Amino acid sequence: MTEMTLRAEALTLGYGERRVIDDLSLALPAARMTTILGPNGCGKSTLLRAFARLIRPQAGVVTLCGEDIHGQDTRALARRIAILPQAPLAPEGISVGDLVKRGRAPWRGLLSPWSRADAEACAGALQAVGMTEHQERRLDELSGGQRQRAWLALVLAQGTPLLLLDEPTTWLDLTHQLEVLSLLRQRNRDAGTTVVSVLHDINLAARFSDHLILLGPGGLVAEGTPEVVVTTENLQRAFRLAARIQPDPVTDRPMVIPL
Amino acid sequence: MKRVIVLVALLVVATAASLLIGDVNLGLGALWQGVWGGDGPAALTIRVIRAPRVAVALGAGAALGLSGATLQTLLRNPLAAPDIMGFTSGAGLAILVAITVGLTLPLPLVSAAGGLVAAILVVALAHRPGRATPAATVVLVGLGIGFTTTAIGTFLMTRLPSAGATEAQRWLTGSLAARDWGHACQIWGIGAVLALLLALQVRGLGLLELGNDLAAGLGLRVERTRWMLAATAVALSAAGVAVAGPVPFVALMAGPLGTRMTGAQRPGTRLTSAAAAGAGVMLLADLVARAGIPGLQLPIGVMTGALGAPYLLWRLSREIERGEL
Repeated sequence: MTEMTLRAEALTLGYGERRVIDDLSLALPAARMTTILGPNGCGKSTLLRAFARLIRPQAGVVTLCGEDIHGQDTRALARRIAILPQAPLAPEGISVGDLVKRGRAPWRGLLSPWSRADAEACAGALQAVGMTEHQERRLDELSGGQRQRAWLALVLAQGTPLLLLDEPTTWLDLTHQLEVLSLLRQRNRDAGTTVVSVLHDINLAARFSDHLILLGPGGLVAEGTPEVVVTTENLQRAFRLAARIQPDPVTDRPMVIPL
Repeated sequence: MKRVIVLVALLVVATAASLLIGDVNLGLGALWQGVWGGDGPAALTIRVIRAPRVAVALGAGAALGLSGATLQTLLRNPLAAPDIMGFTSGAGLAILVAITVGLTLPLPLVSAAGGLVAAILVVALAHRPGRATPAATVVLVGLGIGFTTTAIGTFLMTRLPSAGATEAQRWLTGSLAARDWGHACQIWGIGAVLALLLALQVRGLGLLELGNDLAAGLGLRVERTRWMLAATAVALSAAGVAVAGPVPFVALMAGPLGTRMTGAQRPGTRLTSAAAAGAGVMLLADLVARAGIPGLQLPIGVMTGALGAPYLLWRLSREIERGEL
């Protein structure tokens, strides 16, 4: 496994005058599942967008393999980092198969025809999310859980070693949240894909992640394994939440019980 | 596939009808002679008068259709057509000004310049730094620019001698009268180049449909692609205006009509059906305008206006229902 590590170095992010992230340095461990947690408005999504080069830092850099991602070719970067935004737009009447095919864009030249590798990547992605038999169906006639799996298939078809997801489980019921996170973990274990997501549910994050990044109103509160990050003091600092932590009876990971 | 064949058949029938029907109605025999170089009066009517007019209608309609469908997809708004947003009236006004002051530049260039100026004005007025511009704002600002250019056009016409004013009036309504093979070659030549340019950008358009963030994540240079697509669309509408005048509503209707007829979903096929639908609407509107009322030749713009205005109202009411306006 080559070291495809995304790193923030003295990163400052914001919109105009408003600073959201100030002087943050951290690494997203390669081939692990990392989750960014924190209260609303603390800059979780902003940080993820900076890692995906969707915004330009006000100061500092984001590096991949030691090189500033803003200096890299757009398409070359898209072969290494895929991002699923919070609310992607669905073209009217598009079929699942067509949607997934668009994930191959970074691998296709201006005039290069649809290749065997493209077809295989799409078939593999549809298989991974269990949507093979639905590929002819229209996206807008699917259930919420199926629709989210179709979007996941698109970024899986992109075939990148790094996968960033902005709140991939929002709008889903608990069963489908578990389903999406299991899929991501499967991908992480099978292909060694680095998966980085923004989530709201601390318990689900602790259950599925190898590495947590907890942001608070004042910036980084803690990072590390779930056991290190999910503590009463850290939750108090990040969320102003009084809670008890107990081991999850199923997974033994830390579990939050708000008081 | 079946529906594609229906659309193509419709175009062929409309073309044949446009060649045969007019002040003098001709038979299929004359059509045969006209195409294969016969030199009777009927053959000449077809070859010299009607065929170039039909070719211009098809070319200009296709260009307007492509332009409308591109902008509608790009701005994700079914109202975002060059005729609604004032681009075609800007192109038309530029040509009127050129004719008034006796400028001898090629009309397609003048028209493209006018369309671009209108587009830049719309973007500049609608844009607020640091905030995303809602498509509805662009459309409304565009309407304002359209009214302004129309007002300037009307003012210019009052300064023209009456013969020139009549001609200018006809031109500003949108007309296909007295088009020759030169016009046909012009729109087909320029149209082909621009359509090719657009074809090279179709994949980018397909990614932009997924939202700017996902498109960027898929390796697209979002801003550059958006500007290139918009410029190509403006140039296409200007090319149509240069030979047919600012014919209203064809660009607005072609995209949704084409998609409805063929059921196309991918951006490439959607644009192609928009081109076909635009060509069809233009041709049929012209046919009805010049032969619908015996003895009265209306400019095509009157016809597309009569067709398009109710469509626009219907579209607006749907947008209001969906809460987009």
